[in-house]
Order: sequence, then structure tokens, then C-alpha cells
Amino acid sequence: MELRTAVPAAQPKKTVSRFHRHERRTAAGFLLPALLLLLVFVFYPMVQAVVISFQNYSLVGSKPSFVGLDNYVALLSDRNFYSSLKHSFYFALVVIPLQTALSLGLALLIQKPGRLSGGLRTIYFIPVIISTGVAATVFKLIYNKEFGLLNTFLKALGLPVTSFLSDPETAMNGVIGLGIWKAAGFFMIIFLAGLNNIPRDLYEAAHVDGASRLQQFRSITLPLLKRTMAFVVIMTTIDAIKLSGLVFVLTNGGPNGSTETVVFYIYKLAFQQMQMGYATAAAFVLFAIVLLISLIQMKLFKEEQ
Amino acid sequence: MKLTLRTLKYTLMLLLAAASLLPIIWMVFGSFRPYQELFKYSSSLSPHILIPVEFTWKNYQNVIFSTRNPFLRFIGNTLWVAGAVTAAVLLINSMAAFAFAKLRFRWKPALFALFMSAMIIPGEVTLVPNYLLMHDLGWLNSYKALIIPSMLSVFGIFMLRQFFAEIPDELLEAARMDGASLPRTFLSVVLPAAVPALITLGLMTFLGNWDSYLWPLIVINDHKMQMIQVAIAAFSSTEGTDWSRILAANTISTVPILLLFLFLQRYYIQGITMSGIKG
Repeated sequence: MELRTAVPAAQPKKTVSRFHRHERRTAAGFLLPALLLLLVFVFYPMVQAVVISFQNYSLVGSKPSFVGLDNYVALLSDRNFYSSLKHSFYFALVVIPLQTALSLGLALLIQKPGRLSGGLRTIYFIPVIISTGVAATVFKLIYNKEFGLLNTFLKALGLPVTSFLSDPETAMNGVIGLGIWKAAGFFMIIFLAGLNNIPRDLYEAAHVDGASRLQQFRSITLPLLKRTMAFVVIMTTIDAIKLSGLVFVLTNGGPNGSTETVVFYIYKLAFQQMQMGYATAAAFVLFAIVLLISLIQMKLFKEEQ
Repeated sequence: MKLTLRTLKYTLMLLLAAASLLPIIWMVFGSFRPYQELFKYSSSLSPHILIPVEFTWKNYQNVIFSTRNPFLRFIGNTLWVAGAVTAAVLLINSMAAFAFAKLRFRWKPALFALFMSAMIIPGEVTLVPNYLLMHDLGWLNSYKALIIPSMLSVFGIFMLRQFFAEIPDELLEAARMDGASLPRTFLSVVLPAAVPALITLGLMTFLGNWDSYLWPLIVINDHKMQMIQVAIAAFSSTEGTDWSRILAANTISTVPILLLFLFLQRYYIQGITMSGIKG
């Protein structure tokens, strides 16, 4: 390392070792707070989680008792757990293509530096910083059947008026609408970064060869965006499967449990029904699913390259 | 042909901008309307669907001076928690990042791998044990539960380490020649050189905490101590009818965050871009 060679030759070797000791001590001191936090609030709870997931654990009532794999076995036949998984996956499957296309579209629209692009980038991004609680309460009102803004527009366009959040059949779509509104700008920024990494001269060469815009998009932009695309799809999937905040405020899981997602269900198990061991086992199953999906996606995107 | 395509493009751009902003504009304008007016003009398309007919500050008065739902108090709570977390995150994680980027010590690769491995542990799995830990420490219903576990940012260490690594070693050597100790060098050479990265991480941390919902919902049960997002959600479900007041509360809690973002958006967006490159 540079630091050592830069010490003037005239200085005795002792200084080097003394400095090295100082360096090691500084490193230890500087790492200690972060390491303590890591051990106490990440790794210790992680180990605890494994233990708790094999227990019948409730804060109220009797002492925790070891039940082996019972929690995991019970999950296999828990209808509510399956339907919460189904809701989460429905959300993911609808959101992934729509949101990816929309955020890539937004990025392409404002990619060229122009008079409007800077301001529009900010505008498209604003929903991202609007807090979950605020966005969800405002959308609750916008979705309202009688006097919601959305239905007024639908009526003006001659489309049928819908009660987005009170019908179990459509409530999840209402959650999806808000989810996309809130997150598209975030992924637009990721796509913009990806687009800006593609060398300009590739397009110039293609232009000289007479390739149309569409051809350029298909054979330059899309292939070179693969890494970015993989990141966006994986992030969207993970976010979708872990969805909870929006649901809490927008629908509180209703109507009739139709918007209960997995994380919402885990929260309910742990903090309303006080079944903490069972809830933690469910969280592990969720973790395994998320991990598996992202591994598969990573592999798929790698192979395509 | 080319012209129509361009018109189409600009129309699309503006429509999307309207879709992004309309809910927020509607919220802000709605907060200035008397309750009776909010839904009166909403059934047909007219400018009054947005623009108040009778402009009023009363919703704000009601929200700010409410004793049952003191929104300024909620905002104060949130500012304090988010501010404390942000300050701690910047200090603790930049120190660790400096050690990983510039110092020589034993087990460095192993320790770094240990930190990075924490990125795959999802918060959902540790939710219950962390809650039980807060219970055992007696931190439930106190800001310690919101602040202390949030002070570690593994992503922050990763990001700052990349940034510190680019600071030339010659700069550190020069400080050493001048007789500065390493902590001193960190404070007066490294940190000043990394201000943009620190603003980036600080802003992301602050906004993340401003938005946090699930954890405060679980660990805080004294209503007066609650964070703003949970307070707004609780308010809108209990006061279900007084929508203009809800919109005023929403607006109050959005304006500070919006201003912060507009002033510092360059850094925030830089941070997001960095998290994308990581993938």
C-alpha cells in the first residue's frame, strides 16, 4: 500500500510499526459501533428468529414451548396463508410488466436533454417521495365511487363507474394502481442511468448503417439494458412480494381479506393474534420464496446474455 | 409524419406529468376547501373540481390546534427521530466505511463479507425477534426503539466505502506527514472530501425514516408519541368523514419533505442511481 512506501527512507523502521499499530487500533475503534449494531440488531435477531420459528411463542399467556416443525407443517395447510401468498403474487405478476414498461417508457421520453426533460424528470419522480401514508389516504379518496376524482374522469370518458376498493374482485387492482403510481419514477431513474451507460457511437454507427429507430431500440438499447432490466425486475418482484405499507393504509387488508398480502398476514399473526412463532415461520417461508425467485431471475438474465 | 410523432410524444409526456402531479395538486387545493364544498363539484368535469370556490384556512387551524391529534407534535416527533437516525447513520457508517476503504487490519475481507451478508436478511424475518428484543430491553414505547436499531446502514457502508476508496492516498499521506492522527485525518480530510456522498446517504436515510410505518406502528403505542405516517393513517380511519381536514394534515406533512427533495434532488437521485449500479 502507498502509505508504507511513502514513508521517507531516513525514518527508522520503528515509526512504521508504531503507525501500523495506530492504524489497527483506529480501525478497531471505527468498526466497533457498526459491528455492535450488526451483531445486536441483525445477527442476534436472525438466530433468534430460527429458534422462535420452532416454538409456540406468545407474549401473552404461557411460556414458549418447543414444537419442532409444527409451525412449518401447519403453514402447509393454512388457507389464509395461501390466499395471502396468492394476493402478493397477483400484485407482483401484474405490476412487474406494467411498471417495467412504464418506467422504461418514462426514461426514454426524457432521456434526451431538452428544455422539458429536467423539469419532467422531477415531476415524474415526485410520487416516489410522497409518503406511503399520505399517498394511500389521498388515493382512498380518489378511488371513491360517488365523488372520487378517478370516477369523474371515467364518467367523462363514457366509461363505467367502479368502486375500486370496496369490491373484493377489484380491490387489489386499486392497490396496484397506487403501487405503480408511487414507484414508476424510482425505476425510471435506474433506467435513465442504464441508458446513459450505453455508448453514443453505437447509435451513430447504426444510424449510418440505415437502422431505423425501432431497430436501434431492439438491437442496441434492449440488449445493453439487460443488466439494468434484471435489477429492475428483481427489485420490483421483491418489493411486490414484501408489499405491506400501502395495504395497511389503503384497504387494511379488506374488503373481505381480498388485499391481505403475505407481510400483512405475518403482521396480523404476530401482533394481533400474538402467534409469534407461527408468524416467524411464515416469514422464513416468505424469505425462502423471495430468495428462490431472485436466484431464478438472476440465472435467467445471465443466460440470456 | 415527423411532426405528428413529436406532438404525440409531447402530449404523452404532459399526460404522464398530469397523472403524476394531479393527486398531489388535488390534495393541496382540497385542503383549502370547506368540508361541504369538497365533494360538491366533483361529479362533473369543471375547474372547480380542483380549484376551491370558497378558500379557507380553517382546516389547517383545526389540524394544528387539535389537542386530540396534534399534528405539529407528530411532525416534531418524526423530525427528531429521523434527524437523530440520520446523524448517527452518517457518523457510524462513515467511520466503518473509512476503516474498510483506507485502513489495514486483520480479517478485513471476512469482516466486510459479514457486513455485506446482512443485506440479504429481510426485515420481515427479524421483525418479531427485534420486537421481543425491544420488549426485553424495556425500549417499547420509547424513541430508542425507533432510533438505535436504525443506526446501522449496511448499504451506507458499501456506498461510502466506494466513495472513500477514490480519495487519493497521497492526500492521507500528506496529512500524516503533517503529524495528523488517523481520526484527525478522517475528520478533516476524508469527510470534507465526501460531502456529496454524505448528503446523498443522509437524504435517503431521512426520507426513509420520515416514511416508516410498520415499525413505529409496532413499537410505539402512546398516540402522542407516534410518527407522522402512522398518525395520518390512524387519523384518516377515525375521522373518516372529515376529508378536508385529512387533506390539510397530509399537506402539512408533505410540504417539508417536498422542499427538502426539491433543494437536494441531485444527491437523492445520485443515491438511487448508485443503488442501481450495485445490482
